[in-house]
Amino acid sequence: MTFSVKRFMAIFQKDLKDLYRNMYVSSTALMPLIFAVIYGRMDNVTIEMHLFVISMSLALVGTFLQCAMIAEEKEKNTLRGLMLSPATLTEILSGKSAVTILITVIVTGISMFIMDFSFSGRIGLMAGIVLSLIFFIALGTWMGLITRSVLEASVYILPVMFIFGMGNMFIMFAEQYAFLQILEYTPGLQLQEIVELEDAGAGFGELWKPFAIIGAWAAAMVVLAAVTFKKRMMD
Amino acid sequence: MENMIEVISLEKIFGKKQALNNVSFQVKKGETFGFLGPSGSGKTTTIKILTGQMRPTAGTAKVFGEPVSKLNTPEYRKRFGVVTDNSGLYARLTIYDNLKLYADLYGTSLQRIDEALEAVNLGSEKKTQVAKLSKGMTQRVLLARTLLHKPELLFLDEPTSALDPANSKHIHNGLKELNRQGTTIFLTTHDMEEADHLCSQVAFLNKGVVQLLDEPKQLKKQYREEVIGLELKDGRELELPLQSSSAEEIQQYISREMVERIYTKEPTLGDIFVEVTGRELV
Ligand SMILES: Nc1ncnc2c1ncn2[C@@H]1O[C@H](COP(=O)(O)OP(=O)(O)O)[C@@H](O)[C@H]1O
Ligand SMILES: [Mg+2]
Repeated sequence: MTFSVKRFMAIFQKDLKDLYRNMYVSSTALMPLIFAVIYGRMDNVTIEMHLFVISMSLALVGTFLQCAMIAEEKEKNTLRGLMLSPATLTEILSGKSAVTILITVIVTGISMFIMDFSFSGRIGLMAGIVLSLIFFIALGTWMGLITRSVLEASVYILPVMFIFGMGNMFIMFAEQYAFLQILEYTPGLQLQEIVELEDAGAGFGELWKPFAIIGAWAAAMVVLAAVTFKKRMMD
Repeated sequence: MENMIEVISLEKIFGKKQALNNVSFQVKKGETFGFLGPSGSGKTTTIKILTGQMRPTAGTAKVFGEPVSKLNTPEYRKRFGVVTDNSGLYARLTIYDNLKLYADLYGTSLQRIDEALEAVNLGSEKKTQVAKLSKGMTQRVLLARTLLHKPELLFLDEPTSALDPANSKHIHNGLKELNRQGTTIFLTTHDMEEADHLCSQVAFLNKGVVQLLDEPKQLKKQYREEVIGLELKDGRELELPLQSSSAEEIQQYISREMVERIYTKEPTLGDIFVEVTGRELV
């Protein structure tokens, strides 16, 4: 299988230009920023609030952007043209993923800047975010492959937002509603676990567990996306 | 390589619906081949199979001498171009940005963008956003997009079905020029005049079956009524058999300067299609 950097860059540039003019999709990137502004003005900004905004950027920007870009190519019959060009589906999806990663990192960075949060010394958290991003982009890719329009993508993103984007908030109700305890295992809460362990000065002996959980999400999602992708290639 | 396309006993079945039934034809290098048929006759299905977007149920289809199943590599895709009836453009981007993407994907120089836009008479519209274009202009941009890499073989699925006569004429001239420069064209249409005007070879497709395959000129000769028509200055119209026995009578009318017009009765491709298939082209 060939991979052309030139074609990957062509897709990346096109999607970035297109996104810049796509108010409907790019405005979702404002959501985490709005929360960052609201929380940032509180007197006591807790680590839970920081992680809530980070999870929201990952789920809303990382997943939705990726999903909406792929769904729109299908809706507007432009994917067919790309597939008939020399571009491979791998190049097309990589180009889109690069755009999504770039925007997600920028939105997360700006939100944390607004909330006066410093990443310095937080190697564990940064590694955890990178690993989570793999999960969220794979999730967006899979959803993009199974949805047919941007509207459909906007509906499918809702459960993702509640579970993965707002899990850090809903976990507060876990004492009343036991089933919510499952949210403990979402990447967002595992990131919080990493921060708490890091702050307590824990070593790798304890830190490996949240990483393994996020890694399992990422691996499962990459496999699911890859299987769906292979199926789509066939027809 | 003589045959750009070679199709033998092609079948396509969707569930219970037989879309293509024992279809065979060849397209030689340099030809403009017309695949004619009413809507639902299997034209798009054939193009999808030939461009590797769909697998046939049975039979073989070869393009550039290779089975179509082997054509899914970037190297082969650089050799052909496709405009289908539902190809899309990026509406928020300009014409130029749409073409730049494809110039980069095909690895052609950016100068080709201007040349391709000139060819479809859109040279001055580069900076226009695609969302603001008329249907006809969109169709011309799509055509320009497939011209960027100067394909050896061009598939066009009803290229002018959405266009007014002036735009169609422009596209026709562009296609003729392209063909002169060596591009082989495989074109589907239900417009018989278009086929007559452009194609060196036509196949009549009806309900998935190729019912006739020949040069338009030959077909018209074959289905011509064997009569000579005379329109006289006094308004009378005569039809005489196309035989030596008619010569004397015609000569008399001419020498008496009574003749307004002499013509042979040539059927149009549309007439022939109806005669062969018993169906109107819709
Ligand atoms: N994906 C499909 N699934 C089921 N039936 C199809 C599909 N594509 C085409 N057909 C059927 O096959 C026949 C030929 O279709 P098509 O090739 O699109 O015709 P044309 O392009 O000549 O109008 C039609 O009866 C159509 O309904
Ligand atoms: Mg069709």
